[in-house]
Amino acid sequence: MRRLTIPAALAAALCAQAAYAQEETVTIGIVTAETGPLAAPGKFQMNGFNLAVETINEQGGFEVDGTTYKLELQVYDTRCNAAEGASAMQRLATVDQVPIVLGELCSPVAAAEAPIAQDMQVPLIITVPTASNLTEQDNPYFFRINAHNGQLNRALADYVQTIDAEPLAFIAWNNDAGRGGVNGMQALLPEDYEIGYVGYFNVGEVDFSNHVTNIRNSGAKSVMLLMDEEPGALAIRQLRDAGLDVQLIGTLAMGSNRFLDRLNADYLNGMVQYNSFPPNAPLERIKAFSDAYSAKFGEESHGFAAQSYDAVFAAVEAMKAAGTTTDGAAVRDALAELSFEGVIGPISFDEQGQASPPVYMTEWCEGGDRKVIFPAEMVADCGAG
Amino acid sequence: MATAILEQFINGAMMGSIYVLMALGMVLIYGVMHVLNFAHGVLFMVGGYMAHLYFFNLTGSYPLAILCSMASLALIGMVLERLIFRQLRDNLRMQIVASLGLILIIQNGVVQLWGPHALQMRPASVDALVRVGQLSFTVQHFVIIGVVALAVTVLYLFLTRTRLGTAMRATSQHPEAAVVVGIDPNRVYTLTFMIACALAGLGGALLGPLFLIFPQMGDAPMLKALSAIIIGGMGSVPGAIVGGLGIGILESLSTLVIPTDYRDTIVFGALILMLLVRPWGIFGVRVRGEH
Repeated sequence: MRRLTIPAALAAALCAQAAYAQEETVTIGIVTAETGPLAAPGKFQMNGFNLAVETINEQGGFEVDGTTYKLELQVYDTRCNAAEGASAMQRLATVDQVPIVLGELCSPVAAAEAPIAQDMQVPLIITVPTASNLTEQDNPYFFRINAHNGQLNRALADYVQTIDAEPLAFIAWNNDAGRGGVNGMQALLPEDYEIGYVGYFNVGEVDFSNHVTNIRNSGAKSVMLLMDEEPGALAIRQLRDAGLDVQLIGTLAMGSNRFLDRLNADYLNGMVQYNSFPPNAPLERIKAFSDAYSAKFGEESHGFAAQSYDAVFAAVEAMKAAGTTTDGAAVRDALAELSFEGVIGPISFDEQGQASPPVYMTEWCEGGDRKVIFPAEMVADCGAG
Repeated sequence: MATAILEQFINGAMMGSIYVLMALGMVLIYGVMHVLNFAHGVLFMVGGYMAHLYFFNLTGSYPLAILCSMASLALIGMVLERLIFRQLRDNLRMQIVASLGLILIIQNGVVQLWGPHALQMRPASVDALVRVGQLSFTVQHFVIIGVVALAVTVLYLFLTRTRLGTAMRATSQHPEAAVVVGIDPNRVYTLTFMIACALAGLGGALLGPLFLIFPQMGDAPMLKALSAIIIGGMGSVPGAIVGGLGIGILESLSTLVIPTDYRDTIVFGALILMLLVRPWGIFGVRVRGEH
């Protein structure tokens, strides 16, 4: 009797352990910039990831093949440095053995990480870099959830031709994103469209006085600022302080209350910018995310956060569809077939791994609000942009 | 074109003034201690953060915030000299490595304390504009040029008219002879580091409000200042002034004829040219056998 009891107790213990093990944790890899010159946009990206993980875990996690999983993030700071990005990607694939990696801010770093994703068969979804050629490399393990320069520029080029903006001047980052943006925009505008001036600046530069002088000399009527929030605020202040009365055209980084806080309504009045995520747009999916984001972080939501939030859900949906939380190749195949309604819009990837979220144009109003001015079906008054 | 040249000349003189402050600090340390302090850029950045801290949290006055920032940086300089550079005094290479390590420690420390977002500080001189013909500048542009001119004058008087300044020059020229006449080298080294750091603090406190205060704000000025002291002549105070101003004006004016993204190429091209033609710099002294 005694001999029978011990194996029975062991079996019971093992069964109990198996039942307990039905709720497990899956770790997703994150590459971002937590320090360095792009630490500020990196924070928006991390906020999006953290909010998604918190939302999923509070809902009890997600089920894959009968097992409920909660999410954890393994974050590496790539500092917008290609070597560190490649190293982090390698480590996530080999040491941490994550099924999928999300994030990255910088196009050159994403380009360094992409071949490792392919070699190690770990899918990588980038959520911010915009260089168009990233998703033209026939890399089946590389996906991008955000719009690329070509998509963003299309909306901007269409809009610019509807206003009196000629000659047009550019100030852009001296990197893939900035140069790609300028080249892309010039390719989309008619051949005879007059470009008054093109000036580039390096990441970390804060003095735009040279560009101001050259733009004044060129007689430009409008200035397109292809850069992020911090240099954007500096460039606008220096253009306005120098007395240049030009139409300002900016990026999605310049359509937020945070950006308004850096300047004031007088500096921004009349400026237009493209946007992949107008945080106050009258759409339920955007409103729900913006409310949750503001409640958690005490600030207006941001496009980088929304894109990153959606990437976590894309990863979870892919793991659910693939029926695995460990097989990167299977998760990749599921991603390629994925289709779901994200915060930024309907998400599915084309054969190059590129999603096609909607692109908006917003304009700053006199009182510091924004309105949606493009596309026509989304046009909304001040306070809704 | 004349308007554009005037605009760029004033902008260049303003940035050149900042390079002068940085270069003077580096020259003082190099001249007296024969150490190239690569951490000078991050000390400049800390000056900006300190000014922000004092302006918003303690004084509410920009001039007071500048003075407090300089005093804080002098204190930081004293601590760095005593805790790090004095311990490594006999090992030049280790001092350089330590200064490189300080860059990472201080930059990441600032990110931890203040966060990664750039800070803004808008004293009245930044918001007020001055019209010069059809051009418009912030008052801060001229504040920077004026304050730097004043600081350079005070430093010159200190070095030439005071006993401490004379002791610094003596230690710089011949440390052993300075000891023989009763100068305490430790005291001179500490004082040198304090003055150099205070100048860096002044630079950060002046430039930060005009643009932004962020962890990398000292990187580019440090490189330009390094170029300035090489072009001006290593260890030469007049060389640091001429080199700093020259680089500021050269890089500004050059953008009228070449693309703006090549302006650093012009500066570092001038540096290489100087190294090839006159490696001891404009005001430097040629040393026999030195390459």
